[in-house]
Amino acid sequence: MRGFLANLADRLDLPPRERRHAQGALRSKRGHGASNPDRPTFDTKTSDEIILRLEAITKEFPGVRALSQVPFDLKRGEVHAVCGENGAGKSTLMKIISGVYQPDAGTISFKGREHHFGSSLDAETVGIAMIHQELNLVPHLTVAENIYLAREPTHGIFIDKAKLRADARHCLERLGVDIDPDTPVRALSVAQCQMVEIAKALSLEAEVLIMDEPTSSLTEAETTLLFDVIRDLKQSGVGIVYISHRLDEMAEIVDRVTILRDGRHVSTDAFSAVTVDDIVSRMVGRPLEDKFPERTSTPTDDVLLAVEGLTRRGAFHDISFSLRRGEILGFAGLMGAGRTEVARAIFGADPLDAGQIALHGKPLEIRSPRDAIAAGIAYLSEDRKGQGLAVKMSVAQNLTLANMAGVADRFGVIDFQRETGTTQRYVDLLNIRTPSIHQVVRLLSGGNQQKIVIGKWLFRDSRILFFDEPTRGIDVGAKFAIYKMMDELAAQGIGVVLISSELPEILGVTDRVAVFHEGKLTATLNTRDTNQEEIMHYASGYAGTRS
Amino acid sequence: MTSLTSETQKNQMTAGGKNERFQLSDRQKDLLQKFAALGSLIALTLIFSLTSNAFFTVNNGMTIALQVTSIGILGIGATCVIITGGIDLSVGSVLALAGVVAALAVKELNMPVPVAMLAGILIGSLCGLINGLCVTHLKLPPFIATLGMMMVARGVALQITGARAVSGLGESFGELGNGAFLRIVNIDQNGFPDVVFPGIPYPVILMVVIAVAVALMLNRTVLGRHIYSIGSNAEAARLSGVHVARVTLFTYVLSGTLAGLTGCVLMSRLVTAQPNEGVMYELDAIASAVIGGTSLMGGVGTISGTAIGAFVIGILRNGLNMNGVSAFTQQIIIGLVILGTVWIDQLRNRR
Repeated sequence: MRGFLANLADRLDLPPRERRHAQGALRSKRGHGASNPDRPTFDTKTSDEIILRLEAITKEFPGVRALSQVPFDLKRGEVHAVCGENGAGKSTLMKIISGVYQPDAGTISFKGREHHFGSSLDAETVGIAMIHQELNLVPHLTVAENIYLAREPTHGIFIDKAKLRADARHCLERLGVDIDPDTPVRALSVAQCQMVEIAKALSLEAEVLIMDEPTSSLTEAETTLLFDVIRDLKQSGVGIVYISHRLDEMAEIVDRVTILRDGRHVSTDAFSAVTVDDIVSRMVGRPLEDKFPERTSTPTDDVLLAVEGLTRRGAFHDISFSLRRGEILGFAGLMGAGRTEVARAIFGADPLDAGQIALHGKPLEIRSPRDAIAAGIAYLSEDRKGQGLAVKMSVAQNLTLANMAGVADRFGVIDFQRETGTTQRYVDLLNIRTPSIHQVVRLLSGGNQQKIVIGKWLFRDSRILFFDEPTRGIDVGAKFAIYKMMDELAAQGIGVVLISSELPEILGVTDRVAVFHEGKLTATLNTRDTNQEEIMHYASGYAGTRS
Repeated sequence: MTSLTSETQKNQMTAGGKNERFQLSDRQKDLLQKFAALGSLIALTLIFSLTSNAFFTVNNGMTIALQVTSIGILGIGATCVIITGGIDLSVGSVLALAGVVAALAVKELNMPVPVAMLAGILIGSLCGLINGLCVTHLKLPPFIATLGMMMVARGVALQITGARAVSGLGESFGELGNGAFLRIVNIDQNGFPDVVFPGIPYPVILMVVIAVAVALMLNRTVLGRHIYSIGSNAEAARLSGVHVARVTLFTYVLSGTLAGLTGCVLMSRLVTAQPNEGVMYELDAIASAVIGGTSLMGGVGTISGTAIGAFVIGILRNGLNMNGVSAFTQQIIIGLVILGTVWIDQLRNRR
């Protein structure tokens, strides 16, 4: 650790070289390692020293064995990816490493000494820090205050604000990110928050960093910057445990990969020794089939939904498109292009300033989600826990929430037998894995939660479904199931809108694509006749220059 | 009350889940939760029965039940509001205003007692409606909205009575609060009445009926489900088509109405309307809900739990009184009980 700090100090003396990213919200002040001959070299880079070793870790929860005899180790200066489907035990393993859970059996040794972490604080004290998927920052405090939360430098009884600010600036510069330490965290982008979390971890002198889905809500440019930071951390001897569903990105940074399935260790290999297909087939326990299911039906010519000139000031302007019966329409575009906002406005969740919506050719006024739901429109939010599910309630209660009339008599008295039957039917139909239909949904995995949201709207007999990033944070197997479900819905004559930031998904699943750029609809393309480059072209707003 | 307690358990049992082991542990958890509160209730009863001969008698049982009614009825309203994630601090003042209005209607306007009491109850509903509108339409935090109403209602009650008790209301005004069902009285040879069975006081019957009705509403109806969903995740509820504003409003109106009813019952028991009656009752009501397992974060709570909570407080007061414990010490003990039960609740949830 000493060497690391000294090296960093050296590095900070170097003249900062500005490197701007095309669209990133962040700027890097650091030159590239390879292009800078003045930079000290690190002997730690290829170190084989095992910094963290877990042996035969077993963890049980009531009714479930989450981990069974799982081994894991991490070398100094390496990025070790952990892959597995949702429910394979990745999160549990990470929580054991970071001290949140205590294993029922097995040992953890860190730098050769055996440790029992009673809490995440214990793990942090020795130098293991976790960067959470749901970022753990206090929105109303500044960046500096967040980095040194509960460890504020003091001057007598007062906080030494000057030192606080200087130390925080130092931390951020170490990472090469340009964030003002006085900015309140609520004003930062997700990517910037992540950098603040990493800075916080480094200020704790962490030697092991656990990153849980760090790129899931980053743009491409932000991801590039994050990877630069990860490479630097590797160079300085920090070991990184990396969890992600984006296997394609891993090649850039990952050294070794461990695969878990159903709480058991499947394999650990050098990343270069395996292919992405190998990883996926080991994760699901069967050879990889197609990533996307075949479209089994073709859209009809029957226009289900037609919108004309939709405008919401500050969000989107003059949006017109139509959706046909049996069609899957993609909404492509960069983050913040207004796709979600359009869907929310059509669903009545946000007010519209102008524009008409017609259903089956008849004009429809939508003032609240109730109106939209009554007209057969459903919106599956990208923020499942925040907007899609009542997480303290049971599977059954969530499934029937949008259609209570379907399980109650006309006086509003619920028929529990009918509710149980209905829920069981959808649990079976959608293959929702839950110990009981009375399980609280908070305890289920992301994929199963998403299926519950889908089930909720299917039970409502929705004719138009807006899926907003339905596969974010969901494993490969569950993704395939969700694509297949969309295809089946379309075959039944339902109109599906798929909002997605993943172009392969858009190209693999949809019939047509509407491309958004900064609140405007720049193109509507036939999926069969287009490709990734063309969509990116329209999504980045160069449509005018293209013939 | 126990029949209500088993309400949720039955629901859980009827489910044909795949994994019996989980079902059982869910049920066990639920049973444990009920037993924790019920257990302490039984323990209290045992202890006080041993320390005081007069405690475990039919007469004292009815006295306790009667004493519990006001906290109980207020607690039922408080539970519904708290499940949505709100709070109602105004009920103590609202009950005073409602009782005073009912009394003045009898005395000054010469209204028949039932009509006057209905007016009092409706004043309670009106206060609840204003609370609800402040929360749902003016978007005031429930704490602030009902804190304001707490002061306004108390002020109005003091103003219209000139801060004096309204008495001389006639015997019929006392019927609701002092009458009893199935009261058996023999006149002995000396001409003195001999009470064979004190009867079930009307307020107790009222409380039981309301508790059963509200428990059924919460567990069995769409409205109840919507109340829970709002407390669990208001935005998800809105996006699922729940009329969030309307349902939230309903809970405040219910709470206000029950406060109005409590006011009428209380003033009837005293046959005098006191504008200073019911100070701090809102906190007793909230305490009974919390002891009964209702979460102030919303989304969690049962009427059976609240009823147990109300009885825990009632029995503590009564038993400590009988053992000659001073009112100050009682407060200390009840405060500690609240801290203890909520702590146990936290422990259980952490598991």
